[in-house]
Amino acid sequence: MLSADELKNITSHRTVDARGTACPGPLLEAKKAIGTIQSGQIMEVYSSDEGTKRDIPKWCQKKGHDYLGVVEEPGYFKIFLKKK
Amino acid sequence: MSKMVIGLFSGGVDRLTGAGIIVSGAAANDMDVEIFVLLMGARSFKREIAAGQGELSESPHLKDEFTAALDKHKVKKWTEFLREAKELTHVRIHICGLAGKLWGGEKIHDFVDLADDICGISEYIYAAEEADVHLFI
Repeated sequence: MLSADELKNITSHRTVDARGTACPGPLLEAKKAIGTIQSGQIMEVYSSDEGTKRDIPKWCQKKGHDYLGVVEEPGYFKIFLKKK
Repeated sequence: MSKMVIGLFSGGVDRLTGAGIIVSGAAANDMDVEIFVLLMGARSFKREIAAGQGELSESPHLKDEFTAALDKHKVKKWTEFLREAKELTHVRIHICGLAGKLWGGEKIHDFVDLADDICGISEYIYAAEEADVHLFI
């Protein structure tokens, strides 16, 4: 996992904005988007759904992606992961 | 690929929404899903019923509140959860033949296009035997 400062300075290859959608929306959007990036590339998922903070790390663990961490923003958060 | 089998007995929009969310979670994890639609579920899969708003299985007096909450949180309709899951992973939806007949559905086109075929109860039992996850909703 990376620190908040490291995450704020990271370059993402794909951003998924799932703010305003409820579980399992953000997870499904992440799943659809992961296929559009290459192995080793980084994806950000924006969500305002609390359950997603646990869903996506679990999903990463299951699928073998690297969960890099989360950055809190007003009203939502950004989850960072690296595709396996 | 791990497999989920669901015996979908309930026809209320609350339980169907729950089933849709569960199947979506399975789809996100690349699970193979088979849904066997039984009894009350078969009624809700009839074309004309699936197109409507539906009733709740539990606490019918909460229907307006439930519907408003789904709208507020932009929760998809149960049919859309299942449709999306079918696009993401292998999801097969079977209507139990007897259940369908109870509600006047004899052929697959009597049901919403999400349904793949009509089957007998043995197929459900065999599938449940082999599933990694078996749910009865």
